[in-house]
Amino acid sequence: MGDKIWLPFSVLLLAALLAVLLPRVAGFTHSLDSDFTFTLPAGQRECFYQPMPLKASLEIEYQVLDGAGLDIDFHLASPEGRTLVFEQRKSDGVHTVETEVGDYMFCFDNTFSTISEKVIFFELILDNMGEQEQEQEDWKKYITGTDMLDMKLEDILFLRKGTIKQQKTLHIYESINSIKSRLSKSGHIQNLLRAFEARDRNIQESNFDRVNFWSLVNLMVMVVVSAIQVYMLKSLFEDKRKSRT
Amino acid sequence: MARARGLGLSLPLLLGQLLALMGGGGALYLEVRELEEKCFIQEIPDGTVVIGNYKTELYDPAMEKYQPSPQWINLFVFVKDPENKNLLARQYGPQGSFTFTSQSPGEHQICLHLESIRFSLFYDGKLAIHLDMKLGEHTNDYAEFAAKDKLTQLRLRVQQLVEQVEQIQKEQEYQRWREERFRQTSESTNRRVLWWSILQTLILVATGIWQMQHLKSFFKAKKLV
Repeated sequence: MGDKIWLPFSVLLLAALLAVLLPRVAGFTHSLDSDFTFTLPAGQRECFYQPMPLKASLEIEYQVLDGAGLDIDFHLASPEGRTLVFEQRKSDGVHTVETEVGDYMFCFDNTFSTISEKVIFFELILDNMGEQEQEQEDWKKYITGTDMLDMKLEDILFLRKGTIKQQKTLHIYESINSIKSRLSKSGHIQNLLRAFEARDRNIQESNFDRVNFWSLVNLMVMVVVSAIQVYMLKSLFEDKRKSRT
Repeated sequence: MARARGLGLSLPLLLGQLLALMGGGGALYLEVRELEEKCFIQEIPDGTVVIGNYKTELYDPAMEKYQPSPQWINLFVFVKDPENKNLLARQYGPQGSFTFTSQSPGEHQICLHLESIRFSLFYDGKLAIHLDMKLGEHTNDYAEFAAKDKLTQLRLRVQQLVEQVEQIQKEQEYQRWREERFRQTSESTNRRVLWWSILQTLILVATGIWQMQHLKSFFKAKKLV
């Protein structure tokens, strides 16, 4: 299986290089993103690793969604082990690094808390990973026919004379790529809003529980204290009677 | 992963996916021990397809790096829906993918742990799980769309944009439902604060009256008043 992988890999690499050489296609690279939400128990530390190629961009954004205090320690280290970011007791944060080759490690640390577990949301946005060309190469194998639309659009959209025909057809793909990247960004923002909403909801639900609990306690304490007051007062007078007999 | 027609279509696609995992820009990974459970929460609307591509590796102390796991290391995946019902409880090989579709909107819990089903690991056997979870629109196999519906490049890209917009719309709808429930909780909390305060005041007044009356009758009985 090992050597079977390397042969098409070199073919794809060649295709990717060719795609890079075509004008204006390499200008746009799409971003990969992933988001995770997990529960970090009290007194524990959780680390994640992200392999990165050279000169890509790694953006990490995290938020604490639940847990008393809503704070966590955050640590980001480069592949050599050098600390890039170290934050303590923060409830959210955003960091962007330009990467070198290797595995970047980031850790969430809840060791300062002894009883409360935290729910942490983090989102990784990777840019310039060079995968857009590969995806397009895959698609090129499965598409059928050429777009008649390309020919017509040339006349409508592009009034410049003497430009290369290839550049004209590439221009509409650029618009589509730009729409795609903006939609991806909308998706990221939606993720963030969802995380904010989850955090607010958790705060509200804990408020709700607290109001119920402490009101009940308050009521019971009031009733008990009033009964004790009456009892003690009565006992002050009853003692005299006992001592007489 | 991809139910593409024929090996000719699926093999380059699978390799492309594996490359995405193995190449310089790979997927996120985390270090675990055997039987250590790692859980993730996914808050998704209903009818969302989730595909998790994973690859596991075993640390080789002799070579001081991670090697692909042997076949007797299996990944156990448990998925619980917001009502705590089991959506998925299955055992998978050392690499591959798991998939499920959400039936109800809300927080789903995805728990993974590794277990060796034949030989026992060294006591401090370190393992790594490379994980790449795709939701909604990202699970679509556009290559398959193109081949099935005979789409041109332009139409395929527009199709992808349409799917992306649909997913954003679905998330927005889900957020609206969430916000409504959130508002209900807030209003209920507000109401309760009000009612508890009124109740407390009434009980305070009532106990005060009871105390006075009780003591009055007590002192009268003792002929002190």
